[in-house]
Amino acid sequence: MLLDVIELSKRFGGLSALSDVSLSIAAGEIVGIFGPNGSGKTTLINLVAGIIAPSAGRILWKAGEIQGQRPHAIAAAGVVKTFQNPQLFLELSIYDNVAIASHLRLQRQFGLSRLTELLPWRDTSQRVQVADAIDRVVALCRLEGVRDRTAASLSYGQEKMLGVAMAMMCEPELLLLDEPASGLGEDETRTLEEVLRDLRDCGTTLCVIDHKVDFLARIADRAIALQQGSVIAEGAPGKVLRHPRVVEAYLGRQHARA
Amino acid sequence: MLQLLVGQTLNGVIVGTLYGIIALGVTLTFGITGIVNFALGEFMMIGAYVTWYLFDVAGLPYPVAIWPAVAVAAGCGFAADQLLFRFTRNNLINGLLVSIGLISIIEAAALLLWTTTPKDMGYVLSGAVRLGGMSLPKMKLVVFALLAAVMFLTYAALSRTWIGRAAYAFSQNPEAAMLMGVRTQVLQSTVVVYSTALAGFGGALYATLYSLEPSMGGLYILKGVEAAILGGIGSLIGSLAGGIILGVTEAVGSIYLPSAFRDAYGLIFVVAILLYQPSGLFGAER
Amino acid sequence: MKALLWVPFLVFPALVQSNFILSIFIFSFILAIAAVSFNLIFGFTGQLSMFHAAAFGIAAYITSLTASFFHVSFWLALLPAIGFTILISLIIGSICFNFQLRAFYFAVVTLAFSELARLVILNWNSVTNGTLGLMVLDKPFVWAPGAGLIKIDGVFGWYFFSLAALIFTVAVCSLVLGSWIGRCFAAIRLNEDLAQTLGIDTFRYKLLSFTLANTLAAIAGSLYAFYTGYIEPNYLGINQSLDIISMVLLGGRSSILGPIAGAFVLTGLPHMIDLSGEARAILYGLVLILTILILPQGLIGTLASWRRAA
Repeated sequence: MLLDVIELSKRFGGLSALSDVSLSIAAGEIVGIFGPNGSGKTTLINLVAGIIAPSAGRILWKAGEIQGQRPHAIAAAGVVKTFQNPQLFLELSIYDNVAIASHLRLQRQFGLSRLTELLPWRDTSQRVQVADAIDRVVALCRLEGVRDRTAASLSYGQEKMLGVAMAMMCEPELLLLDEPASGLGEDETRTLEEVLRDLRDCGTTLCVIDHKVDFLARIADRAIALQQGSVIAEGAPGKVLRHPRVVEAYLGRQHARA
Repeated sequence: MLQLLVGQTLNGVIVGTLYGIIALGVTLTFGITGIVNFALGEFMMIGAYVTWYLFDVAGLPYPVAIWPAVAVAAGCGFAADQLLFRFTRNNLINGLLVSIGLISIIEAAALLLWTTTPKDMGYVLSGAVRLGGMSLPKMKLVVFALLAAVMFLTYAALSRTWIGRAAYAFSQNPEAAMLMGVRTQVLQSTVVVYSTALAGFGGALYATLYSLEPSMGGLYILKGVEAAILGGIGSLIGSLAGGIILGVTEAVGSIYLPSAFRDAYGLIFVVAILLYQPSGLFGAER
Repeated sequence: MKALLWVPFLVFPALVQSNFILSIFIFSFILAIAAVSFNLIFGFTGQLSMFHAAAFGIAAYITSLTASFFHVSFWLALLPAIGFTILISLIIGSICFNFQLRAFYFAVVTLAFSELARLVILNWNSVTNGTLGLMVLDKPFVWAPGAGLIKIDGVFGWYFFSLAALIFTVAVCSLVLGSWIGRCFAAIRLNEDLAQTLGIDTFRYKLLSFTLANTLAAIAGSLYAFYTGYIEPNYLGINQSLDIISMVLLGGRSSILGPIAGAFVLTGLPHMIDLSGEARAILYGLVLILTILILPQGLIGTLASWRRAA
């Protein structure tokens, strides 16, 4: 198991956002987590990515504990998340946005020798290698056409893609996607699905959180349903979607009985 | 020794209310317009000098002299709001820098008008009250009472009147307040002018106790900001509490530690508070 | 290519005979070092530090005192100043950034430390002579090939010495900002939360920016002390911090060279126009206000955007 979440809980004041949630993600799979608003999906992702610290429970990444660590350390360990409302460097071009995200890659590839970039007679070969990687990621996320435009000028769908591109630039082993399809039209959603499958084929494990159930059903190998901070069903997407408790959570009691 | 301690504490409380009135202005301005008006100290100075002029030079009775002083301070505040602060709403850095520019201008103007020679206002209320073994000047008690009263009245007005509730709503959710019909521009300008009036009032009272110099504003705005942070930016009662705590810390600190560093004690206290309780003693994080 | 911009400065003294104008340039160069370095932490990393003047002033004192007390050269005396600046920057920066103080509070805490430093220097009469200040009688010596050891004294010597220091500062800033470190600074300025999730240790880079900025300011302060021959506690005052901030804002905070323009204007203008102290202060206040409201990108920034638009 790549990621193990063990009895994870998070309370905000008197409100319990997540209660004793346990789940595992294996390498190479695409796991879909869904649930209505308030079910704790985003809290779960934020806990794993280190944005917030848990009230109780453990998070194991490759058997090492990572709960409570700072986000940059967790990103360096291989777990990167995207934001539901795309967070970008608005003043900069798409290219520069992705270039900033190459920080971890630079660090891993060159270590301390990247300090040579500071010398007046700079060695630009490092830059060239990273530039290749940037080009590849930009192409993967279907953004070559707009790479010199500022991030602020993008459409919503392109913004989301850029978020994914930046996360991918960090070479994550596990990519956590917070509602990547929300706000996207039909075509854009299909493009997103293609990109996500390409990512998985390149070896990245994906954990997708969304409440567009048809999107999740198409893309996920395994689904986990959350409601009010607890797991209520787990398994193959088709099965989970027909699970009585899930139907009840989404559509109400009557439909579950029917 | 006990007498010294109590005496210094009382002095600290009284100076603290002066800090508090500036802190109240800082907190109100920040809550409603999103900036810290560093020039509030200058408006205090304006109030002080105009009071001195009307009382000492023009010979008006003190209770009469205060009001034009406050009005002038408020008037200048209105001008500053319309010309400057109107364009820096919610932009902390710009607001900060603009108010710093304003400080230069106002202080230079004061220097031209009144020079650096300290002005001492004549006695408004002489005599002292005996408490236990100490004597406390009556004027200091009056200053304390008036400042505390104004601060409580402000608090009461904000929690009970329509304007107050509109202001509160605005500070919580500006867009919703606007949609509900709150005249946000008017509200923001009113708050700016009111906080300069408060500062002017503080200055008018300051003039009865201390000598006036054009540079007095700089010190008091710093204390006001410290007190506002201590009490928690956003909390009105916090401004008074923060001011008093700051005043007492400085006064008592000066007994046991070198008084040359008096200003430092408050600073250190504020830094400590900021690190461990950023929302201040009474505030909620904005 | 940008190196060509420096050429006029190199030939300037040959064309202008006035010592008065040259000395304005010297002051401008030295203060430009302070301004350019402030822009590292302010314009590029997005943190408003009120400690810059303190770094400037503390180093001035340490360099001067070390030189006169231990009878060592300027360069040797510079070492403890820089060392102390680095140390104090790491301490203050760690305190501020560790607690993740938001922008306004960072300004307040750095202001508090700056004031504390000023109070210490003001009251430590035995060492610093308090409000009376200290005379700095030593001069730096530079070894030049062919001429041996030259004493930097007099307008010509100081002109090229301070210009060299400014070029050095700009070179350091260019190298740092043009590298991945510069990208991290920009990331922190634009969207700190995003930078964190992309693996950038924002604590480390803010600390780096703060320390580097203060160190360069320390160099500026030491030069200033040795040039003017006099130091006093007001070097650490809020007014000095504000002067530097104004230079950066006026010149433009999105470029490395912008603050240099600001330094020249704000240093030169008061001397060009013969005004009383109060009138100068009013002018200064107006310049600051007008810059914020009308020219938010500063002089250089506005020029640059006109060029882009054209």
